[in-house]
Amino acid sequence: MKRMRKSMNWLAVTVALILFVPAAKAQSQNPLSDPEIASVAVTANQIDVDYGQLALKKSHNADIRKFAETMISDHKNIIQQATALAQRLHVTPKTNAMTQSLLNGETATMKTLKAKSGTAFDKAYAQNEAAYHEAVVGAVKTKLIPETQNAELKGLLQSVVPLLEHHTMMAKELASKF
Amino acid sequence: MKKFIQIVAVCFSVCLILAGCDNGSSSSTVESTGPQRDTVIIKLMAFTPDTLTVNKGDTVVWINQDIVAHDVSHFPDRAWHSDTLNPQNVFVKVIDDSSSYFCSIHPTMRATVLLKK
Ligand SMILES: [Cu+2]
Repeated sequence: MKRMRKSMNWLAVTVALILFVPAAKAQSQNPLSDPEIASVAVTANQIDVDYGQLALKKSHNADIRKFAETMISDHKNIIQQATALAQRLHVTPKTNAMTQSLLNGETATMKTLKAKSGTAFDKAYAQNEAAYHEAVVGAVKTKLIPETQNAELKGLLQSVVPLLEHHTMMAKELASKF
Repeated sequence: MKKFIQIVAVCFSVCLILAGCDNGSSSSTVESTGPQRDTVIIKLMAFTPDTLTVNKGDTVVWINQDIVAHDVSHFPDRAWHSDTLNPQNVFVKVIDDSSSYFCSIHPTMRATVLLKK
């Protein structure tokens, strides 16, 4: 039990580090361009779709499955809107260091999650969702929104914040059941 | 680009006019004794107003103006509930009782309809 909690804390810290350290570093050095922000936004959403799809594959818990379905649907929706807006604005998403660190984080987390099953998986998934959403909200608020030039893109990011905050609360509530 | 801004502006004013008409029709019935129609907007993960006070028998219309799907469900047992409301979908219900309700898709979204004493 103690070891479990320790490993979960480690997971949360890893997620936070993956997102925040490069973010803080990049912010002080070079702000992201709108095409880079579009890439980060689409990637961050796609990663949560991927986690949700893994949960549907692995979990038999009704609460976990319902939550995962909501994550897949909501984040796909945001990807669609971000992609449509980028096309309309002729902004071509551009891969950058932050996209890459998000993807590296996904690879590591997927490895940890895939190694678990049953309740251990459900708990790890829920806790990772809480930590991941919290980290993404932080990055959106303190880095992506301030650095976005285009008003519409900024507006879309701002409108996504309450959604991410609710997802965080929902994930925390879900995690507390395990 | 200029054309696009114009289109957005036109859409926006149409929305405003529609919203205005809606308010107008409900406020014009304020003095009447018959059932009234109230609106709750679902936007940015919130029901607005989060507490709505109505007379027994009034109709409430929920409009999903958010970027994701929601629903309107009696709290906590979903004794009554809407279908999944995709963006721009609407749910209409006659209110006979005070009730807390929530979105079963995002259970952290909560609000209340109260009957006037
Ligand atoms: Cu909802």
